[in-house]
Amino acid sequence: MSLVRLEGVTKRFGQLTVLDQVSLAIEPGDIVAVIGRSGSGKSTMLRCINALEPIQGGRILFEDTVVNDPATDLRKLRQQVGIVFQSFNLFPHLSVARNITLAPTVVKGIPAAEARRLAEEVLARVGLAEKIDAYPDQLSGGQQQRVAIARSLAMQPKLMLFDEITSALDPELIGEVLKVLESLARQGMTMMLVTHEMGFARNVANRVVFMHQGKVWEHGPARETLGRPRTPELESFLGSVLH
Amino acid sequence: MIREPNALDVLYLIAAGRWTLALTALAFFGGGLMGILVMLLRIAPAAPVRWAAMGWIQAIQGTPLLAQLFVFFFGFAIFGYRVSPWVAAGVAFSIYASAFLAEIWRGCIEAVPRQQWEASAALGLSFPQQLRYVVVPQAFRIAIPPTVGFLVQLVKNTSLASTIGFIELTREGQITTGATFRPFTIYGIVAVLYFCICFPLSQLSQRLERRLHVAR
Repeated sequence: MSLVRLEGVTKRFGQLTVLDQVSLAIEPGDIVAVIGRSGSGKSTMLRCINALEPIQGGRILFEDTVVNDPATDLRKLRQQVGIVFQSFNLFPHLSVARNITLAPTVVKGIPAAEARRLAEEVLARVGLAEKIDAYPDQLSGGQQQRVAIARSLAMQPKLMLFDEITSALDPELIGEVLKVLESLARQGMTMMLVTHEMGFARNVANRVVFMHQGKVWEHGPARETLGRPRTPELESFLGSVLH
Repeated sequence: MIREPNALDVLYLIAAGRWTLALTALAFFGGGLMGILVMLLRIAPAAPVRWAAMGWIQAIQGTPLLAQLFVFFFGFAIFGYRVSPWVAAGVAFSIYASAFLAEIWRGCIEAVPRQQWEASAALGLSFPQQLRYVVVPQAFRIAIPPTVGFLVQLVKNTSLASTIGFIELTREGQITTGATFRPFTIYGIVAVLYFCICFPLSQLSQRLERRLHVAR
Protein backbone atom coordinates (compact mmCIF):
# COMPACT_ATOMS: atom_id res chain seq x y z
CA MET A 1 0.00 0.00 0.00
CA SER A 2 1.25 3.45 -0.84
CA LEU A 3 2.02 5.71 2.10
CA VAL A 4 0.49 8.72 0.36
CA ARG A 5 -1.77 8.79 -2.65
CA LEU A 6 -3.01 11.92 -4.41
CA GLU A 7 -5.93 11.26 -6.75
CA GLY A 8 -6.92 14.05 -9.12
CA VAL A 9 -6.23 16.73 -6.52
CA THR A 10 -7.39 20.21 -7.50
CA LYS A 11 -6.66 23.29 -5.43
CA ARG A 12 -7.82 26.80 -6.22
CA PHE A 13 -7.10 30.15 -4.64
CA GLY A 14 -10.17 32.07 -5.85
CA GLN A 15 -10.04 31.98 -9.66
CA LEU A 16 -6.48 30.73 -9.77
CA THR A 17 -6.00 26.98 -10.12
CA VAL A 18 -2.83 26.10 -8.26
CA LEU A 19 -3.09 22.32 -8.46
CA ASP A 20 -4.77 20.86 -11.52
CA GLN A 21 -5.77 17.19 -11.26
CA VAL A 22 -2.57 16.10 -9.55
CA SER A 23 -2.13 12.36 -9.06
CA LEU A 24 0.89 10.88 -7.36
CA ALA A 25 1.79 7.96 -5.09
CA ILE A 26 4.56 7.88 -2.50
CA GLU A 27 5.82 4.49 -1.30
CA PRO A 28 7.41 3.89 2.11
CA GLY A 29 11.14 4.69 1.91
CA ASP A 30 10.73 7.01 -1.08
CA ILE A 31 12.74 10.19 -1.21
CA VAL A 32 10.89 12.45 -3.60
CA ALA A 33 12.33 15.73 -4.78
CA VAL A 34 9.66 18.11 -6.03
CA ILE A 35 11.04 20.70 -8.43
CA GLY A 36 9.59 23.42 -10.61
CA ARG A 37 9.39 27.15 -11.14
CA SER A 38 7.98 29.37 -8.44
CA GLY A 39 4.19 29.37 -8.65
CA SER A 40 4.07 25.89 -10.15
CA GLY A 41 2.21 24.55 -7.12
CA LYS A 42 4.94 22.47 -5.50
CA SER A 43 4.76 24.00 -2.00
CA THR A 44 0.98 23.99 -2.12
CA MET A 45 0.96 20.28 -2.94
CA LEU A 46 3.14 19.60 0.09
CA ARG A 47 0.92 21.69 2.35
CA CYS A 48 -2.19 19.88 1.14
CA ILE A 49 -0.78 16.53 2.24
CA ASN A 50 -0.95 17.43 5.94
CA ALA A 51 -4.10 19.50 5.41
CA LEU A 52 -2.60 22.92 6.05
CA GLU A 53 -4.44 23.84 2.84
CA PRO A 54 -7.94 22.57 2.00
CA ILE A 55 -8.47 21.13 -1.49
CA GLN A 56 -11.39 21.69 -3.86
CA GLY A 57 -11.35 18.45 -5.83
CA GLY A 58 -10.03 14.91 -5.80
CA ARG A 59 -8.77 13.19 -2.69
CA ILE A 60 -5.60 12.64 -0.69
CA LEU A 61 -4.96 9.41 1.17
CA PHE A 62 -2.43 8.87 3.92
CA GLU A 63 -2.29 5.11 4.39
CA ASP A 64 -6.03 4.47 4.56
CA THR A 65 -7.00 7.86 5.99
CA VAL A 66 -8.72 10.31 3.65
CA VAL A 67 -6.92 13.57 4.51
CA ASN A 68 -9.54 15.86 2.97
CA ASP A 69 -12.50 14.13 4.66
CA PRO A 70 -13.96 16.65 7.16
CA ALA A 71 -14.43 13.79 9.64
CA THR A 72 -10.70 12.99 9.68
CA ASP A 73 -8.93 13.75 12.94
CA LEU A 74 -6.24 16.09 11.63
CA ARG A 75 -4.37 16.07 14.92
CA LYS A 76 -3.85 12.33 14.60
CA LEU A 77 -2.79 12.67 10.97
CA ARG A 78 -0.30 15.42 11.75
CA GLN A 79 1.39 13.31 14.39
CA GLN A 80 2.41 11.00 11.55
CA VAL A 81 3.30 13.62 8.96
CA GLY A 82 6.01 16.09 9.96
CA ILE A 83 6.65 19.32 8.05
CA VAL A 84 9.60 21.68 8.10
CA PHE A 85 9.12 25.18 6.72
CA GLN A 86 11.31 27.58 4.78
CA SER A 87 11.21 30.09 7.65
CA PHE A 88 11.97 27.55 10.46
CA ASN A 89 9.03 28.76 12.61
CA LEU A 90 10.61 27.77 15.90
CA PHE A 91 8.78 29.03 18.98
CA PRO A 92 10.94 32.04 19.94
CA HIS A 93 9.83 32.16 23.58
CA LEU A 94 10.81 28.55 24.27
CA SER A 95 14.21 26.91 24.66
CA VAL A 96 15.41 24.41 22.07
CA ALA A 97 14.54 21.59 24.47
CA ARG A 98 11.01 22.88 25.00
CA ASN A 99 10.51 23.53 21.29
CA ILE A 100 11.17 19.84 20.80
CA THR A 101 9.38 18.40 23.83
CA LEU A 102 6.23 20.56 23.59
CA ALA A 103 4.31 18.40 21.12
CA PRO A 104 5.44 15.02 22.50
CA THR A 105 4.37 16.03 26.03
CA VAL A 106 1.11 17.88 25.34
CA VAL A 107 -0.06 16.00 22.24
CA LYS A 108 1.19 12.48 22.97
CA GLY A 109 1.31 12.71 26.76
CA ILE A 110 4.92 11.52 27.05
CA PRO A 111 6.35 12.20 30.57
CA ALA A 112 8.74 15.17 30.83
CA ALA A 113 11.88 13.14 31.64
CA GLU A 114 11.31 10.79 28.73
CA ALA A 115 10.62 13.74 26.41
CA ARG A 116 13.92 15.31 27.49
CA ARG A 117 15.76 12.12 26.52
CA LEU A 118 13.92 12.15 23.22
CA ALA A 119 15.03 15.77 22.67
CA GLU A 120 18.64 14.79 23.38
CA GLU A 121 18.37 11.93 20.93
CA VAL A 122 16.88 13.92 18.03
CA LEU A 123 19.28 16.82 18.62
CA ALA A 124 22.17 14.39 18.40
CA ARG A 125 20.79 13.22 15.05
CA VAL A 126 20.96 16.77 13.69
CA GLY A 127 24.35 17.39 15.36
CA LEU A 128 23.20 19.98 17.89
CA ALA A 129 23.28 18.09 21.19
CA GLU A 130 25.13 20.94 22.92
CA LYS A 131 22.44 23.51 22.02
CA ILE A 132 19.66 21.87 24.01
CA ASP A 133 19.28 24.75 26.46
CA ALA A 134 19.83 27.59 23.98
CA TYR A 135 17.06 29.84 22.71
CA PRO A 136 16.25 30.11 18.98
CA ASP A 137 17.62 33.66 18.64
CA GLN A 138 21.03 32.47 19.89
CA LEU A 139 21.33 30.10 16.92
CA SER A 140 22.34 30.65 13.29
CA GLY A 141 19.77 30.09 10.55
CA GLY A 142 21.21 26.69 9.72
CA GLN A 143 21.13 25.65 13.36
CA GLN A 144 17.55 26.87 13.74
CA GLN A 145 16.52 24.85 10.72
CA ARG A 146 18.22 21.74 12.15
CA VAL A 147 16.32 22.27 15.42
CA ALA A 148 13.10 22.54 13.40
CA ILE A 149 13.93 19.20 11.77
CA ALA A 150 14.64 17.70 15.21
CA ARG A 151 11.33 19.08 16.49
CA SER A 152 9.49 17.22 13.71
CA LEU A 153 11.52 14.04 14.21
CA ALA A 154 10.59 13.95 17.89
CA MET A 155 7.02 13.15 16.88
CA GLN A 156 8.38 10.04 15.12
CA PRO A 157 6.47 10.68 11.90
CA LYS A 158 6.14 8.16 9.08
CA LEU A 159 6.58 10.88 6.48
CA MET A 160 8.53 14.12 6.52
CA LEU A 161 7.69 17.06 4.29
CA PHE A 162 10.37 19.67 3.64
CA ASP A 163 9.18 22.93 2.12
CA GLU A 164 12.17 24.71 0.57
CA ILE A 165 13.99 24.42 3.85
CA THR A 166 17.30 25.79 2.58
CA SER A 167 15.90 28.73 0.61
CA ALA A 168 16.07 31.23 3.49
CA LEU A 169 19.63 30.29 4.44
CA ASP A 170 22.93 31.96 3.64
CA PRO A 171 24.83 29.84 1.09
CA GLU A 172 27.48 28.72 3.60
CA LEU A 173 24.76 27.34 5.92
CA ILE A 174 22.95 25.23 3.32
CA GLY A 175 25.45 22.37 3.46
CA GLU A 176 24.90 21.55 7.13
CA VAL A 177 21.13 21.26 6.61
CA LEU A 178 21.50 19.12 3.46
CA LYS A 179 23.86 16.83 5.39
CA VAL A 180 21.12 16.24 7.98
CA LEU A 181 18.67 15.43 5.18
CA GLU A 182 21.13 12.97 3.67
CA SER A 183 21.54 11.15 6.95
CA LEU A 184 17.77 10.97 7.38
CA ALA A 185 17.55 9.54 3.89
CA ARG A 186 20.13 6.87 4.77
CA GLN A 187 18.11 5.94 7.86
CA GLY A 188 15.17 5.13 5.60
CA MET A 189 12.87 8.05 6.40
CA THR A 190 10.18 8.61 3.77
CA MET A 191 10.60 12.19 2.62
CA MET A 192 9.14 14.67 0.18
CA LEU A 193 11.19 17.76 -0.45
CA VAL A 194 10.44 20.86 -2.40
CA THR A 195 13.90 22.02 -3.34
CA HIS A 196 16.01 24.12 -5.65
CA GLU A 197 19.13 22.10 -4.86
CA MET A 198 19.44 20.08 -8.06
CA GLY A 199 22.63 18.35 -6.97
CA PHE A 200 20.86 17.15 -3.88
CA ALA A 201 17.84 16.01 -5.90
CA ARG A 202 20.10 14.05 -8.23
CA ASN A 203 22.25 12.41 -5.57
CA VAL A 204 19.91 11.79 -2.65
CA ALA A 205 16.39 11.55 -4.04
CA ASN A 206 15.28 8.36 -5.72
CA ARG A 207 12.40 10.07 -7.52
CA VAL A 208 11.90 13.49 -9.01
CA VAL A 209 8.56 15.20 -9.62
CA PHE A 210 8.60 18.20 -11.93
CA MET A 211 5.62 20.50 -11.45
CA HIS A 212 4.53 22.92 -14.15
CA GLN A 213 1.37 25.06 -14.25
CA GLY A 214 -0.17 23.15 -11.35
CA LYS A 215 0.34 19.75 -12.97
CA VAL A 216 2.77 16.90 -12.46
CA TRP A 217 4.49 17.53 -15.78
CA GLU A 218 7.09 14.83 -15.56
CA HIS A 219 8.17 12.33 -12.97
CA GLY A 220 10.41 9.33 -12.68
CA PRO A 221 13.68 8.04 -11.25
CA ALA A 222 15.83 10.99 -10.16
CA ARG A 223 18.99 10.58 -12.25
CA GLU A 224 17.15 9.55 -15.38
CA THR A 225 14.57 12.34 -15.18
CA LEU A 226 17.14 15.04 -14.48
CA GLY A 227 19.67 13.60 -16.94
CA ARG A 228 17.30 13.11 -19.86
CA PRO A 229 14.27 15.38 -19.61
CA ARG A 230 11.44 14.25 -21.88
CA THR A 231 9.60 17.57 -22.08
CA PRO A 232 10.90 20.93 -23.31
CA GLU A 233 9.51 22.55 -20.13
CA LEU A 234 11.72 20.46 -17.84
CA GLU A 235 14.66 20.92 -20.17
CA SER A 236 14.31 24.69 -20.11
CA PHE A 237 13.75 24.68 -16.34
CA LEU A 238 16.89 22.65 -15.77
CA GLY A 239 18.74 24.95 -18.12
CA SER A 240 17.69 27.98 -16.12
CA VAL A 241 18.60 26.59 -12.70
CA LEU A 242 21.88 24.95 -13.61
CA HIS A 243 23.45 28.04 -15.15
CA MET B 1 -21.00 78.03 55.89
CA ILE B 2 -17.87 78.43 53.86
CA ARG B 3 -14.55 77.55 55.51
CA GLU B 4 -10.86 77.46 54.56
CA PRO B 5 -9.50 74.15 53.21
CA ASN B 6 -7.25 72.41 55.73
CA ALA B 7 -5.02 69.36 56.09
CA LEU B 8 -7.97 67.20 57.05
CA ASP B 9 -9.59 67.92 53.66
CA VAL B 10 -6.48 66.62 51.91
CA LEU B 11 -6.56 63.55 54.11
CA TYR B 12 -10.20 62.96 53.18
CA LEU B 13 -9.33 63.31 49.52
CA ILE B 14 -6.55 60.75 49.86
CA ALA B 15 -8.94 58.46 51.72
CA ALA B 16 -11.49 58.81 48.90
CA GLY B 17 -8.73 57.83 46.50
CA ARG B 18 -9.03 54.31 47.96
CA TRP B 19 -12.44 53.99 46.34
CA THR B 20 -11.08 55.16 43.01
CA LEU B 21 -8.48 52.41 43.32
CA ALA B 22 -11.04 49.86 44.47
CA LEU B 23 -13.41 50.61 41.61
CA THR B 24 -10.54 50.52 39.11
CA ALA B 25 -9.37 47.17 40.47
CA LEU B 26 -12.88 45.73 40.36
CA ALA B 27 -13.42 46.95 36.81
CA PHE B 28 -10.02 45.74 35.65
CA PHE B 29 -10.31 42.25 37.09
CA GLY B 30 -14.01 41.84 36.33
CA GLY B 31 -13.52 43.36 32.89
CA GLY B 32 -10.34 41.35 32.38
CA LEU B 33 -12.09 38.04 33.02
CA MET B 34 -14.98 39.02 30.79
CA GLY B 35 -12.53 40.44 28.27
CA ILE B 36 -10.68 37.11 27.99
CA LEU B 37 -13.99 35.38 27.30
CA VAL B 38 -15.09 37.97 24.73
CA MET B 39 -11.65 37.88 23.08
CA LEU B 40 -11.78 34.07 22.80
CA LEU B 41 -15.27 34.27 21.27
CA ARG B 42 -14.01 37.01 18.95
CA ILE B 43 -11.30 34.71 17.48
CA ALA B 44 -13.32 31.48 17.68
CA PRO B 45 -13.44 29.29 14.55
CA ALA B 46 -17.29 29.48 14.39
CA ALA B 47 -18.49 32.64 12.62
CA PRO B 48 -21.78 33.26 14.54
CA VAL B 49 -19.83 33.23 17.81
CA ARG B 50 -17.42 35.81 16.39
CA TRP B 51 -20.34 38.01 15.27
CA ALA B 52 -21.89 37.91 18.75
CA ALA B 53 -18.59 38.98 20.30
CA MET B 54 -18.19 41.71 17.69
CA GLY B 55 -21.71 42.98 18.44
CA TRP B 56 -20.92 43.19 22.14
CA ILE B 57 -17.71 45.11 21.47
CA GLN B 58 -19.32 47.53 19.01
CA ALA B 59 -22.30 48.24 21.29
CA ILE B 60 -20.06 49.10 24.23
CA GLN B 61 -17.36 50.96 22.35
CA GLY B 62 -19.99 52.93 20.43
CA THR B 63 -21.92 54.27 23.42
CA PRO B 64 -20.80 56.72 26.12
CA LEU B 65 -19.59 55.24 29.38
CA LEU B 66 -21.80 57.76 31.20
CA ALA B 67 -24.87 56.37 29.43
CA GLN B 68 -23.88 52.81 30.36
CA LEU B 69 -23.52 53.89 33.96
CA PHE B 70 -26.98 55.46 33.94
CA VAL B 71 -28.51 52.36 32.37
CA PHE B 72 -27.33 50.24 35.26
CA PHE B 73 -28.06 52.76 38.01
CA PHE B 74 -31.36 54.32 36.88
CA GLY B 75 -32.43 51.69 34.36
CA PHE B 76 -32.75 48.93 36.92
CA ALA B 77 -34.55 51.26 39.30
CA ILE B 78 -37.29 51.75 36.66
CA PHE B 79 -38.03 48.02 36.82
CA GLY B 80 -38.17 48.13 40.58
CA TYR B 81 -34.66 46.84 41.26
CA ARG B 82 -32.75 49.21 43.51
CA VAL B 83 -29.05 48.81 42.88
CA SER B 84 -26.40 50.50 45.00
CA PRO B 85 -23.89 52.83 43.31
CA TRP B 86 -21.24 50.17 44.04
CA VAL B 87 -23.07 47.45 42.13
CA ALA B 88 -24.06 49.73 39.27
CA ALA B 89 -20.55 51.18 38.89
CA GLY B 90 -18.87 47.80 39.33
CA VAL B 91 -21.00 46.14 36.65
CA ALA B 92 -20.96 49.07 34.21
CA PHE B 93 -17.19 49.58 34.42
CA SER B 94 -16.51 45.84 34.12
CA ILE B 95 -18.61 45.61 30.99
CA TYR B 96 -16.98 48.73 29.60
CA ALA B 97 -13.50 47.35 30.29
CA SER B 98 -14.36 43.93 28.83
CA ALA B 99 -15.04 45.37 25.38
CA PHE B 100 -11.84 47.40 25.23
CA LEU B 101 -9.59 44.75 26.75
CA ALA B 102 -11.03 42.10 24.42
CA GLU B 103 -10.11 44.22 21.39
CA ILE B 104 -6.66 45.12 22.74
CA TRP B 105 -5.86 41.49 23.46
CA ARG B 106 -7.25 40.25 20.17
CA GLY B 107 -4.89 42.64 18.43
CA CYS B 108 -1.98 41.23 20.44
CA ILE B 109 -2.96 37.64 19.62
CA GLU B 110 -3.16 38.55 15.94
CA ALA B 111 0.24 40.23 16.11
CA VAL B 112 1.78 36.79 16.67
CA PRO B 113 2.89 35.60 13.21
CA ARG B 114 0.53 33.24 11.36
CA GLN B 115 3.41 30.79 10.93
CA GLN B 116 3.42 30.15 14.67
CA TRP B 117 -0.16 28.87 14.39
CA GLU B 118 0.81 26.80 11.37
CA ALA B 119 3.90 25.27 12.95
CA SER B 120 2.01 24.31 16.10
CA ALA B 121 -0.95 22.93 14.12
CA ALA B 122 1.46 20.85 12.05
CA LEU B 123 2.77 19.30 15.30
CA GLY B 124 -0.76 18.18 16.19
CA LEU B 125 -1.58 20.78 18.86
CA SER B 126 -5.28 21.55 19.35
CA PHE B 127 -6.62 25.11 19.20
CA PRO B 128 -6.59 25.57 23.01
CA GLN B 129 -3.08 24.07 23.18
CA GLN B 130 -1.87 26.40 20.43
CA LEU B 131 -3.19 29.36 22.40
CA ARG B 132 -1.86 28.22 25.74
CA TYR B 133 1.63 27.10 24.81
CA VAL B 134 2.53 29.05 21.70
CA VAL B 135 0.42 32.12 20.98
CA VAL B 136 -0.61 33.62 24.33
CA PRO B 137 2.90 33.59 25.84
CA GLN B 138 4.12 35.58 22.83
CA ALA B 139 1.10 37.89 22.84
CA PHE B 140 1.52 38.60 26.55
CA ARG B 141 4.60 40.77 26.19
CA ILE B 142 3.05 42.71 23.30
CA ALA B 143 -0.04 43.26 25.43
CA ILE B 144 1.59 45.00 28.39
CA PRO B 145 1.89 48.59 27.08
CA PRO B 146 -1.63 48.88 25.60
CA THR B 147 -3.18 47.13 28.59
CA VAL B 148 -1.53 49.49 31.07
CA GLY B 149 -2.46 52.39 28.80
CA PHE B 150 -6.08 51.34 29.08
CA LEU B 151 -5.75 50.83 32.84
CA VAL B 152 -4.59 54.44 33.21
CA GLN B 153 -7.64 55.58 31.22
CA LEU B 154 -9.80 53.45 33.48
CA VAL B 155 -8.43 55.10 36.62
CA LYS B 156 -9.42 58.51 35.27
CA ASN B 157 -12.76 57.32 33.88
CA THR B 158 -13.89 56.09 37.30
CA SER B 159 -14.47 59.79 38.03
CA LEU B 160 -17.72 59.38 36.06
CA ALA B 161 -19.03 57.23 38.91
CA SER B 162 -19.31 60.46 40.89
CA THR B 163 -22.46 61.19 38.85
CA ILE B 164 -24.37 58.31 40.45
CA GLY B 165 -23.34 59.19 43.99
CA PHE B 166 -20.35 56.88 44.19
CA ILE B 167 -17.94 58.62 46.56
CA GLU B 168 -14.48 58.42 45.06
CA LEU B 169 -11.77 60.99 44.44
CA THR B 170 -13.75 63.33 42.15
CA ARG B 171 -16.97 63.16 44.20
CA GLU B 172 -15.00 63.91 47.36
CA GLY B 173 -13.44 66.86 45.53
CA GLN B 174 -16.91 68.16 44.65
CA ILE B 175 -18.03 67.84 48.27
CA THR B 176 -14.93 69.60 49.58
CA THR B 177 -15.30 72.35 46.98
CA GLY B 178 -18.89 72.82 48.12
CA ALA B 179 -17.72 73.39 51.68
CA THR B 180 -14.69 75.60 50.92
CA PHE B 181 -15.55 77.21 47.60
CA ARG B 182 -11.93 76.84 46.48
CA PRO B 183 -12.34 74.81 43.27
CA PHE B 184 -8.90 75.64 41.87
CA THR B 185 -7.04 74.44 44.95
CA ILE B 186 -9.20 71.40 45.56
CA TYR B 187 -9.36 70.14 41.97
CA GLY B 188 -5.63 70.83 41.70
CA ILE B 189 -5.08 68.44 44.59
CA VAL B 190 -7.50 65.95 43.00
CA ALA B 191 -5.54 66.08 39.75
CA VAL B 192 -2.25 65.53 41.57
CA LEU B 193 -3.72 62.52 43.34
CA TYR B 194 -4.83 61.01 40.01
CA PHE B 195 -1.32 61.56 38.72
CA CYS B 196 0.10 59.81 41.79
CA ILE B 197 -1.93 56.74 40.87
CA CYS B 198 -1.31 56.76 37.10
CA PHE B 199 2.40 57.60 36.96
CA PRO B 200 3.61 54.54 38.92
CA LEU B 201 1.43 52.34 36.70
CA SER B 202 3.20 53.53 33.58
CA GLN B 203 6.57 53.05 35.28
CA LEU B 204 5.63 49.52 36.29
CA SER B 205 4.63 48.76 32.72
CA GLN B 206 8.00 49.84 31.39
CA ARG B 207 9.87 47.81 33.98
CA LEU B 208 7.75 44.72 33.29
CA GLU B 209 8.27 45.09 29.57
CA ARG B 210 12.04 45.29 29.97
CA ARG B 211 12.16 42.30 32.27
CA LEU B 212 10.05 40.12 29.98
CA HIS B 213 12.12 41.19 27.04
CA VAL B 214 15.34 39.99 28.65
CA ALA B 215 13.76 36.71 29.74
CA ARG B 216 12.06 36.43 26.33
